[in-house]
Amino acid sequence: MPLPRTTYRTVVVGGGIVGLFTALHLARSGAGPILVVDRGFLSSGASGRNGGGVRQQWETRATVRLARESVAAYRRFGREFGYNPWFRQTGYLFVAESTAELERLRTVHDLVRSEGLPSEVLGPEEVARRVEGIAPGSVVGGTYLRSDGTLYPFPAVWGVYEAVRSLGVDVVFGIEVLGVEVRDGAVAGVRTSAGAVTASSVVNAAGGWSGDLSRRAGLDVPNVATRHEILATEALKPFLDPMVVRISDGLYFSQTVRGEVVGGLTVSHRPGTASGMPSSPKFLTAMASALVGLLPRLARVRVLRAWSGFYDDTPDGLPMIGEDPRLKGFVQANGFGGHGFMLAPAATRRVAQAVLGEVTDLDPAVFSPARFLAPRAPAVAERLQLG
Amino acid sequence: MGGAPSRRFRYRGRATDARPGESLLAALSRDGLPVLERSLRYHRPRAPFCGIGQCTGCLLRVNGDPTVRSCRYLPSEEDRVDTPRGWPSVRWDVLGVLDTLFPQGIDPFRAFRRPAFAIPLYHRVVRRLSGYGPLPSGSSPGTTTPTPVVRTAEVAVVGAGASGRAVVERLVSRGIRPLLIERRTDATAVAGADLWNGVSVSFLTPPQPDQAFPFMLLGFDAAGGGVAAHARAVVVASGGYDASLLFGENDRPGVLTADAAMSLTPAQERTWFRRAIVVGGDRRVQDVLERFGHRVAAVVAPGEIRPDVVRAASERGIPLYPRSLVLRARGRSRVRGLDLQARGGGPHFSLAGDAVVLAHRRLPSAQLFPLAGARMAWHAGTGAYYPLLDPHGMTTVNGLYAVGTAAGVLESADEAAADRVSDAVAGRAEGALPPLPRVRAEGPAELEGYYRELLREPRRGRWIACRCEDVLLREVEAATRAGYRGVEVVKRYSAFGTGLCQGRYCVPDVLLLLSILEGRPTAEVGTITTRPPVFPTPLGALAELDPSTTAEAA
Repeated sequence: MPLPRTTYRTVVVGGGIVGLFTALHLARSGAGPILVVDRGFLSSGASGRNGGGVRQQWETRATVRLARESVAAYRRFGREFGYNPWFRQTGYLFVAESTAELERLRTVHDLVRSEGLPSEVLGPEEVARRVEGIAPGSVVGGTYLRSDGTLYPFPAVWGVYEAVRSLGVDVVFGIEVLGVEVRDGAVAGVRTSAGAVTASSVVNAAGGWSGDLSRRAGLDVPNVATRHEILATEALKPFLDPMVVRISDGLYFSQTVRGEVVGGLTVSHRPGTASGMPSSPKFLTAMASALVGLLPRLARVRVLRAWSGFYDDTPDGLPMIGEDPRLKGFVQANGFGGHGFMLAPAATRRVAQAVLGEVTDLDPAVFSPARFLAPRAPAVAERLQLG
Repeated sequence: MGGAPSRRFRYRGRATDARPGESLLAALSRDGLPVLERSLRYHRPRAPFCGIGQCTGCLLRVNGDPTVRSCRYLPSEEDRVDTPRGWPSVRWDVLGVLDTLFPQGIDPFRAFRRPAFAIPLYHRVVRRLSGYGPLPSGSSPGTTTPTPVVRTAEVAVVGAGASGRAVVERLVSRGIRPLLIERRTDATAVAGADLWNGVSVSFLTPPQPDQAFPFMLLGFDAAGGGVAAHARAVVVASGGYDASLLFGENDRPGVLTADAAMSLTPAQERTWFRRAIVVGGDRRVQDVLERFGHRVAAVVAPGEIRPDVVRAASERGIPLYPRSLVLRARGRSRVRGLDLQARGGGPHFSLAGDAVVLAHRRLPSAQLFPLAGARMAWHAGTGAYYPLLDPHGMTTVNGLYAVGTAAGVLESADEAAADRVSDAVAGRAEGALPPLPRVRAEGPAELEGYYRELLREPRRGRWIACRCEDVLLREVEAATRAGYRGVEVVKRYSAFGTGLCQGRYCVPDVLLLLSILEGRPTAEVGTITTRPPVFPTPLGALAELDPSTTAEAA
């Protein structure tokens, strides 16, 4: 497929939720023309492969704030974008297996409360009331925030996709960005599998492939793509409201509006995107054993399908948002560590501001790509990375 | 089996008997074709469709488990059986009114967006209406073995159909003792081979080169327990199934596949249909005529009818309608006939019949190959993907072989491949061999042309593209109109292919359809990534196979 044109003001690499939302904010600011280019098809990356969780319980204050703003955006989404993502605020329930884990959750709880969100600490009986049939003695307690929730990722992607197209943004799929053209230390364009494009700024919203893209632009970045797996079961009548997360092993699961149990668990795979996105028996059996161990009532529920996708991880567990100090016009919008969907509406506002050269309200020590260039480790880290 | 007593179970509170070897479905349908299901969105009445444990047409709640495929379930004494859907009953379902109220369908991702205050209510109502039934109570079925069954074999043969058995016999004669794995529970043993009945293989791993037995097969048995097999070589003879077809009201009770007709017990045979309209013109129609010739009212073919089928039908005085567009099934709670039009703008016909038997297209059950990493190739003649094979019948994965319908051969037993595969597995392969005769052009070589013509005709009734999720043809077309292209994208957009049949009955037709709608070859429309498990697999069975917990138990 040829490109609609060869000159743009901004090229956004990655047509997932982060790239599309960024393009939306830019187009609304009148900062066109804009090209969004994606190597796969719509929703082929993590935006079409995640478990649909949206939470505000985090270890870092800056992330809590971005998440809170995103929750508000997803609440409005159906009215604003014409698609219903079924954002359902029935809470995230973190469960702890030990008092040490519960202490850690309590710290999160204190931070979340200090941001004005009514998080609750639950004892084992209260957890059992919210997760009917949980194995006795399996948890010592947990934390719960009712305004966290789950959504269907696909309609959210379609809504933003159609919105940007109606604003005149060109969105192309099946085209790979092979390199970034640099002139006098600034972005001059990109080379793609469909030809060269001139542009004065490039947004790297390539998710699991964003490390590859930065390196193609000659920038050494610490992003690592890690494969995470997920499964879905047959649809049943409602029996579970919250998203349940176990912090010891990253087990998470929820029941969708349609009734399927959807969830994942961390099993380690070789890092990088080279191996593709297959499913492993190691995951299927470990996930099943974790689920049935925590909620024995699920033993007879059948798994319908399993799939996998990439997290784009950074060393401190926080995304990179802002212009790369080494290359003028190259704006990083990646490293979301499997949580891009839940932070995208708010985070991409700042990405667009960075593209437009405006000052953002983000603490550069936390989110700037420059933090990895300093000899010292970044000051803050987010370790509530799961799944 | 023969001497076993009848089993008495309770169906909706009433004591009912199943004869020895009789499935739950067979026991419940001696008086006629039963309506056991309501479709997910529009609550349309549904009856058994595939007969081989793949579709959602015969789901029943058995001892609390709401998605038991009754065609494959052998009832036990004291089983409690119920219909999971429909209120007040599956026959008289109040929500069936949705089917009439929304002639254009309901787009779940467009509707229910406002007003803001009503959204939590929408969520509650839609959740209540979704799903097959309540979570099964009790932690696990009493019959499940506490530990998984694990076996190791030189060669595992998946599928005890004619081709699988042909391979097994030859392997035995070459001094190998293979493990024959069969999903059905009633395969007969082959001397010199180990037979594993009632085992569904859900996963086949790519070979692990450092292992003595590089392949691992994961699955579950009839009781829902986990099973695993390790093998040095794997021969997949998983066969095939009869495809669905798109036409108006194509999900009406009484529209069923040739598989379903062929799997009927004698008692069902008497009651399910008396005047069937058979769709197709190839070998599979011959099977149906041989068995049900006296109960066939007409043969209708999308394309030409093979001369031997013409002969067989004429001998029985059955009228033939070659080169016909199937427009619509008539009847509401039961098929009463079929409306046709001769292709090329010819005359219309309205045939009377009490069943429509789909025998027009046989598709391969080939999901295990891509899971193991084998390369697949599209064959336009049958409209399906098959594994690429070398002259020995081996896929692109070393040690993984394919025979029979799964490999693209429609004969009852794939003797030619069986010889070569068993020679290769036994290390007796001769050097240069001519290529295996694979994938004949039999079947709807031009089904795409057929659909192209059909889609230009005015439509009446609901056209169901995906039975499990109640996705309409018009929704697939709407996706294309909105600019969503490619089968993976449209799958997500319209939700076809995400139901319990795991895409077996909708994906093949939608692929052809998208090729027409998007104006590009099927290969460019793409394919749906094969995702494990191959069959819906109980979490409990998978949990038993988790090495970390079994290690703890040991």
